[in-house]
Amino acid sequence: MTRLESIRTAVNNVQFNRFRFWLQLFFFLLLVYSGYLGVELGKELPTFSCGYNKEGRAGMCYLMTFQYQLSWPWQKLFSAAGLVVLSGFGIFFLWFIALNKGWCGFVCPVGTIQDWITSLRRWTGIRYSRYSWGQFKWLAQIKYVLLALMFIIPLGIGAGWFNKDLKAPFCMICPGRTIIPLFTGDFSQVSLDFSTKTNLFMTSLGLTVMGLFFIGAFVKKRFFCFYCPMGAFHYLLSKPALLRLRKDGSKCTRCGDCYRVCDQEIKDIADDVNKKEIMTDDCILCMKCVAACPEKGALKATFAGIPIFESTEEGFIKRMNKGRADGK
Amino acid sequence: MKYFAGIDVGSTAIKVAVVNEDGEIAGVHVTASGSLFHKNSTEALNTLLGKLNLKREHVRYLIATGYGRKLFKEADDSISEITANAIGAFETGKAYGGVRTIINIGGQDSKAIQIDNTGNVVNFVMNDKCAAGTGRFLDVAARNMDLDLEELGDCHFQATTAPLNINSTCTVFAESEIIGLLAKGHGKPEIIAGIHYSIASRTVRLAKRVGIEDRVYFDGGPALNKGLVAAIQDELGRELVVPEYPQTTTAFGAAMLARNEFMADQTLEPA
Amino acid sequence: MESETAIIIPIQPAPFSRSRQAGESQDVLDHIVDDFQDNPESMKYFYDLFRRVYCHGEELKHKGLLIGSTCIQTPEELIYAFGATPMRLCNGSYHYDQRGADFMPAKSCSLVKATLGMLNAETVIPKIGKPDMIVNPTTCDQKKKSSAMMESMGYQVYDLEFPNVKESEASRVYWQRSVRQFAARLRELTGKKLTRKNLKAAMNKTGRAQAAFRKLHSFRLKSPSLILGKDAFLVTNAYFFDDIDRWTLAVEKLNEELAQREKSGFKAVQSKAPRVLFTGSPPIFPNLKLPLLIEESGGVVVTDETCSSNRMLYDMTAVDEWLLNDMVDSLADKYLKPCTCPVFTRNDDRKRRLLDLVSSFNADGVVYQAFAGCQVYEMEYRSVADAFNKAGIPLLYVETDYSPDDKGQLSTRIEAFLESLKNRRKQRA
Repeated sequence: MTRLESIRTAVNNVQFNRFRFWLQLFFFLLLVYSGYLGVELGKELPTFSCGYNKEGRAGMCYLMTFQYQLSWPWQKLFSAAGLVVLSGFGIFFLWFIALNKGWCGFVCPVGTIQDWITSLRRWTGIRYSRYSWGQFKWLAQIKYVLLALMFIIPLGIGAGWFNKDLKAPFCMICPGRTIIPLFTGDFSQVSLDFSTKTNLFMTSLGLTVMGLFFIGAFVKKRFFCFYCPMGAFHYLLSKPALLRLRKDGSKCTRCGDCYRVCDQEIKDIADDVNKKEIMTDDCILCMKCVAACPEKGALKATFAGIPIFESTEEGFIKRMNKGRADGK
Repeated sequence: MKYFAGIDVGSTAIKVAVVNEDGEIAGVHVTASGSLFHKNSTEALNTLLGKLNLKREHVRYLIATGYGRKLFKEADDSISEITANAIGAFETGKAYGGVRTIINIGGQDSKAIQIDNTGNVVNFVMNDKCAAGTGRFLDVAARNMDLDLEELGDCHFQATTAPLNINSTCTVFAESEIIGLLAKGHGKPEIIAGIHYSIASRTVRLAKRVGIEDRVYFDGGPALNKGLVAAIQDELGRELVVPEYPQTTTAFGAAMLARNEFMADQTLEPA
Repeated sequence: MESETAIIIPIQPAPFSRSRQAGESQDVLDHIVDDFQDNPESMKYFYDLFRRVYCHGEELKHKGLLIGSTCIQTPEELIYAFGATPMRLCNGSYHYDQRGADFMPAKSCSLVKATLGMLNAETVIPKIGKPDMIVNPTTCDQKKKSSAMMESMGYQVYDLEFPNVKESEASRVYWQRSVRQFAARLRELTGKKLTRKNLKAAMNKTGRAQAAFRKLHSFRLKSPSLILGKDAFLVTNAYFFDDIDRWTLAVEKLNEELAQREKSGFKAVQSKAPRVLFTGSPPIFPNLKLPLLIEESGGVVVTDETCSSNRMLYDMTAVDEWLLNDMVDSLADKYLKPCTCPVFTRNDDRKRRLLDLVSSFNADGVVYQAFAGCQVYEMEYRSVADAFNKAGIPLLYVETDYSPDDKGQLSTRIEAFLESLKNRRKQRA
């Protein structure tokens, strides 16, 4: 075997869950704590690197920047100052297309927290719940509603229609705001703001979402990602992305192993044998499906067209054996 | 001049054909199989060679085909009768615009073969489970009507009314039906025409399973029966290419294959 | 008038190995072993196994209770987890086929007739003892109606409810429930409990067997072939009744030998031998009539899509969370979703699998066997033939049954088919 082939084989046979765990831990520490070390990656990160974690964060989640900018008075927004918005968006876009929705599956700290809660649930032996196909169909629309509101409300603030206290409305309800600062010992976001009626309303919504988040993440895998407007935003921009998930339908036996392991319960990954680009709007590009596919070449992750992780029979057998051996 | 032979060891008859190195047919011979296949095959070959004033050594390559091909150890090689029939029909059909579909009715089976423009078998279907629609049915019918096989064709054209329907799908039961019709006073020509149409409709149904394309070639012993040919043409709605000696197409095909294989690979020359 | 005295001649008991039934198996086994050259050394294990079990009627020991099954959809991991032994009952003997014909309709499938004939007979070969329960998945019509017949023969039968549509959510949930109920029934029968530990151990066993099969499957990709199809069929047929650990070891040994063969450039067939994909009604020893005819006539069966071989061992289970409920549901999914049995309403998965097998194994043509009376395989022939026609792949359809009297005609057809495959290759070259 040539050197390239042996590297390829080693990658395809990797103990995927372990690999992903360590990668997620690395990004979590980076995004939540490396601000203390002076790391500054800018304010346009395409992931929930929460801005409320003022000192620890390595960079800021673009949604906060975006909502603030969008809520500028229209006079300012649609003047030359608007170029700042466009350039910010440009930087966000460049960050994004490198990893596509892989930002969700491997980098996002809120995603990582959910995966840790899932491990806790597994340790207790409690089983997870699934949506029915009908529920899945209509619940999947919620992220688009939230995305739309995320545009409309800030614009409305800038136009003077909505109360200024509604600023960054999504940040107010985002579980990142309440939960990520907890990791740096900051409990201040877990509170109700009685200063105005709007603030009271938004902070109570925020606490409700936090409660739902913990309960949901305990009974479902990656509960919040299903409703996340950042995910919806990503999908709309994903056409030119470099990291892609591809499927070769002729190799697919429709065994459903990929559907079985998918955190987001995406059925198309198993049943659609015609599409070549198989990443849907719910997908978090965690690649668990590729790791769980026993048919060589049926699923693969490509970066700029080069396959970097492919489903193989050998890899499948190694990984399932390990699972049988230590029940991870 | 080199010669090549093909021998078709069928269940009812043994057919031998000899061609020369230019692919021209030198002669054919047909004889009954009897029960001693090997002896009768050797005799048939020798008879034909005698007729053509040739010795066994003149025949450079011999291919056997047909039901008893594996029993005739003298042969240099054996092929299935389907491939042999296809080659024979393809070669003969060259003069008629090219054959694509072959219908063969033998003593005990019937087949339809589809070939491409190079003579290669593309698809085929056989009825080898049951004697209905084969030469055996004609034997039974002729016997019941006290006629010789050769007379069936002429009798067919003497019918003055429409052919009668023979309903039984089984040859054995059809025998009873024929006797019944004779007893009722129906004329032999109408009954014979009915038998021919019964065989024809079954055969055409078989042929449709491989797809019918012009030209259609009809061979096998029963193709000598002009009445049967007319019935099949009627059911098919197309003209048929019928060789002068239809029982020998398969043997001719085997002989042509012997010639082609030998010419392509001179190492087959015995030391 | 004097009446002559008559004597009553007592029935002479004869050992099983001299019976006509044993003769049938003996003929086929002798043919498989003696009439082909260069059989792999490690196949001796399998030849010996079949000789002992089918020709000498040797008894086979099993651990725990014996759970018979009539279809591959029975989750055998659950049976192993409860400390019992699964055994596939589908039978391939013409002797039992004739016994079954005594009480079955004339137009029934030979396989079902043989299986019922076997269960109704006094001596059941393979001699594994009377099953404590027979699991009968509700797949094809004839299997479904066999339930009541088997019960009337004195067996305890469990109807494992299997859906006929596999695309819908309802069928997936239905089947998952059906498997859970089956597990509950096994608990009742064996008195044991299903735990994560014993289910994991069971999945280990079958996982190892599947991995060994996959390795064998991938060795058959090689051209020219390293091993003949007749041997591969014998190996997978042995899985029906052999002890799974011994079987897995024997296959792993066979794989090692094939690896050696590959290194040394060994050829089990001529380079020009037509490569055939075999699909349809399953060939079960001793009814290996069609695959043997193909290989006698110079072809080689490089792979198959039948439930007595490839389909039984190919698909592997993926589990996300190694908790009991998830493991049982994963098993259920694996038995349903990739299944290409023609009992389903749609057969797109089967067509795609066939086309994929043809292209990866570089097969020259396909032989489609349908047992006379098997409505589902016979009806599916048309859509499969259309798919192959479009792809330009030659297909030979053979409708046959267990009786040996059509061997002569079938050999002509197969020879003609192989000849046309060889010609096609020559023309393409």
